[in-house]
Amino acid sequence: MIAPSASTLSPQLPTPQSVPSLRRMDDSSRGPISTLGRAVLNFINYFGQLGILLGEGFESLVKTKPRLHLTMEQIVRIGFGSQVVVIVTGAFTGAVFTAQSYFKFRDFGIESTIGSIVSVSLFRELGPVLTGLMVAGRVGAAMAAEIGTMKVSEQIDALRAMGVHPVDYLAMPRFFAMTISMPLLIAEAVAFGLGASWFVAVLGFGIPSAWFWMHTIDHTNLEDLSYAMTKGLVFGMLIVVISCHQGLSTTNGAVGVGQSTTRAVVFSSLALLVTNFFLTLLLNYIFPMGTIT
Amino acid sequence: MPAPPSAEPAASPFIQIRGLHKSFDSQKVLQGIDLDISRGETLVLVGPSGEGKSVLLKHIIGLLHPDAGSIQFDGTSLCGLSERQLAPLRRRIGYLFQNAALFDSLTVAQNVAFPLIEAGIKNPAEIKSRVQEALEVVELDAHTEKMPINLSGGMRKRVGIARAIVGRPEIILYDEPTAGLDPIVTDVIDHLIKRLQKRYHVTSVVITHDIASVFKIADRIVMLKNGIVYFNGNPDQLRHSPDTFIQDFIAGRSGMTS
Ligand SMILES: Nc1ncnc2c1ncn2[C@@H]1O[C@H](COP(=O)(O)OP(=O)(O)O)[C@@H](O)[C@H]1O
Ligand SMILES: [Mg+2]
Repeated sequence: MIAPSASTLSPQLPTPQSVPSLRRMDDSSRGPISTLGRAVLNFINYFGQLGILLGEGFESLVKTKPRLHLTMEQIVRIGFGSQVVVIVTGAFTGAVFTAQSYFKFRDFGIESTIGSIVSVSLFRELGPVLTGLMVAGRVGAAMAAEIGTMKVSEQIDALRAMGVHPVDYLAMPRFFAMTISMPLLIAEAVAFGLGASWFVAVLGFGIPSAWFWMHTIDHTNLEDLSYAMTKGLVFGMLIVVISCHQGLSTTNGAVGVGQSTTRAVVFSSLALLVTNFFLTLLLNYIFPMGTIT
Repeated sequence: MPAPPSAEPAASPFIQIRGLHKSFDSQKVLQGIDLDISRGETLVLVGPSGEGKSVLLKHIIGLLHPDAGSIQFDGTSLCGLSERQLAPLRRRIGYLFQNAALFDSLTVAQNVAFPLIEAGIKNPAEIKSRVQEALEVVELDAHTEKMPINLSGGMRKRVGIARAIVGRPEIILYDEPTAGLDPIVTDVIDHLIKRLQKRYHVTSVVITHDIASVFKIADRIVMLKNGIVYFNGNPDQLRHSPDTFIQDFIAGRSGMTS
């Protein structure tokens, strides 16, 4: 007799090939699973790369002197240059929020307290998040495009060839500029939001100015400011790290620069929104909402 | 092909490359390069386009890392060095990129001043005079305030040369320095390379397709083909090589008839 094959040894176990339905199931389940697996790996790989960039940034912080001139230049471009966008965003957010609140509050006869809800919302959520999203669009895109163009035209290699670390020269000045600018931009957005709110409430709906300010000031405190500033700092870092990473890892010429730019905006906006939620929970733990009577 | 006898000095080579392999994805580019470069020599690197000449040059300055093999720069192995550890070595090297790779946010003068500022030179007068001097050498001293985007390809290349030489490096790696230049400026650059060698004992590695330049400047010629060193010898040996590929390459014959 010939030695028995595996299938004759265990005839009760059908192989996938022998049963059509089983094979089909096997094929269809392999696709999504390997796709999912690859997506998970890409995700982990992406965080690994961000981690490496952060590590290099930290090394730069410890080992090299900050490049003040470049940082100033970036503050002008990021901070100063974003003001119009941020002011318009803040002002119209404040204005529309005031209008909507007024329509509802009027039913309860508490429209004079509008300033309190507008102020707290602007400080805690609307100011930081909307400013962050606008800056991600404006500044994140510019960073990724500029650094990405430098990458594909070998300017990054030229820096390296002259003994200059691209993180020192490109990423760190942007990082410093962003962490300085973002809190200030958010403060500016909130200020213009409150101004617009006053305009709409007092001049538009005839709420007495003194009441408006009284409620605003009564219900706004240092915790609300801490929310705004902390979020500004964190969002600024998110945008700068994600956008610089996209720029520095650009390949593929002009098409690649386009992809990097899009990704920088999309990734930093999404990261910002997700982080905002968890940061809010954390901050609420640190600065609990005061007991409002 | 054997190296010329007794041409090598007894001292260890300035740059020593052994068994260098490099692939990009599935494409094998360098497949075992062995090459010594001695101090003060002008080595010309020739070979068909896409054979990995630029890739080899980038390995010498550590911009690319070998898949296998080793590179020693003045006795220091580049393998395993981090970007920050490579920086001091790189400041001893001048590098001209094939596409010049000028910083497009800086003017011509700022581009050329860049290596000086990074080397820690603070005195603005000294920077200015050295930038001026380097730009005069490449005959571009009238264009200091222009942005790179407004220069022709040949002008950009010359700014790249000025940026590569301004820091007075010990070794300069030129990736096609005269491609796109007119015959007169080509001659100027050829003389510049030789002058730096004679006056400052600068070591040069020059990639070029210009056969006239090869014979004007080369102390030694290395031809890359199929990812290995196909020829390594002095100009006379190249001229009298019996190899038909080399003879066709020198004469610019493709074997086509029209
Ligand atoms: N960064 C890279 N990624 C992928 N392929 C590359 C890269 N750099 C060079 N190559 C490939 O390596 C080969 C050699 O390129 P190169 O050294 O530029 O040739 P040349 O001898 O003309 O200078 C080419 O086929 C090129 O496509
Ligand atoms: Mg090349």
